[in-house]
Amino acid sequence: MDGQTPDKEKTLRSQQELTWEYELAKEPHFYFVLDAPGKNLELRVRGMVLRTWKLERVRFWGKPAFAKTVRLVRKSALKPPQRNVIKPGETTTTPKDPKAAATFELEALELKDMPRSFSLEFDNGLHVSVRTKESGMRGIKGEIYWYGSLPLRNMLWARKGKTTSELEIRFENEKDAQAIYWIFFEGIKGLVY
Amino acid sequence: MLIKRLLATVLALGYLGVLGVVGASYYFGLKQFSARPAAGAGPVVTDKDLPKIQKNVQALEKKIAALQARGVYIVVDTGENRLYVKKGAEIVRQAVVSCGSGDVLEDPGGKRKWVFDTPRGEFFVRSKITNPYWVKPDWAFIEEGEPIPKNQEDRVEGGSLGDYALGFGDGFFIHGTLYTRLLGRNVTHGCVRVGDKDLKEIFKIVPVGAKIYIY
Repeated sequence: MDGQTPDKEKTLRSQQELTWEYELAKEPHFYFVLDAPGKNLELRVRGMVLRTWKLERVRFWGKPAFAKTVRLVRKSALKPPQRNVIKPGETTTTPKDPKAAATFELEALELKDMPRSFSLEFDNGLHVSVRTKESGMRGIKGEIYWYGSLPLRNMLWARKGKTTSELEIRFENEKDAQAIYWIFFEGIKGLVY
Repeated sequence: MLIKRLLATVLALGYLGVLGVVGASYYFGLKQFSARPAAGAGPVVTDKDLPKIQKNVQALEKKIAALQARGVYIVVDTGENRLYVKKGAEIVRQAVVSCGSGDVLEDPGGKRKWVFDTPRGEFFVRSKITNPYWVKPDWAFIEEGEPIPKNQEDRVEGGSLGDYALGFGDGFFIHGTLYTRLLGRNVTHGCVRVGDKDLKEIFKIVPVGAKIYIY
């Protein structure tokens, strides 16, 4: 028997990925495809690509599940965005007089209010940290977490038979990271490979 | 002198300890890292199987393509406040819009609560209306601190929805606006507001039944 040639492997992989995608595309729900080696993230529905994000960096610790369908069970951020509560008769979403729109102080939940750094937890135990390219102290803090805290946690958990699987995706533009928080609702399914 | 030596020894031991812990952490981490399936670790494909797999890949691609929207369809990005009319992968027209504010309104009576989000998901154009008028729901009066009218006629307001409206269910519409300065911001009660010129074009090219994808 000859060895697995790259072509054969690619075909086999395509078959597997398309099988998983077809299961998702059959439903009328949005799903995502995270191609970690290709540094590409896509939002899709019915097999159509609605939005694409180029990732600036992808790295992982532990043994993340790089295949099969996953479901987002929790989004967590240090400061999750808060909704504005309207006081009847006092605050409104839109001013009564259209001419007042220029000076109207908008109180709404917008993309700019979304966190730039947060994590996504999936049903298979995969933990994805979403980050934006940071410099200065914030950047250093992130590196200490990645190279210090994570391996340490890995070692301590390994003794208990548990392991930590962390995938970090980093965006060049903070608006892209915020868009992920905005778009990725809890329950969204996707493929990670 | 002795204190200095002791201090140096403690520091050196501490340093070695940290190195040991970090080293061990990396050892465990790398052990797991290496446990990621290596290239070619999956089932082996023989030359005999290959045509069958290739055929299967083509069939799956066809099946997925068959699920895609036919003709023109609308995509709304609620975060960016953008609307795209697309045909296949091509963008036929795009517009700056206003989507839901995400604000919350509670009935002072305490029984009802509204969240002003633009609904997300797959919808389709259910109706196309020229010169639409707005039948104000209860929340519109509650928000303004006004009593809810008993007569249906007192709820009707003309002009605020612009010249055209495309309904996509549950009282949600893609419609015009008087608040053109607020286009690009999240200000609505859930509907998608579009500027006059764009709305006219969208109304013209999008038929009833066209798919709408809102994310």
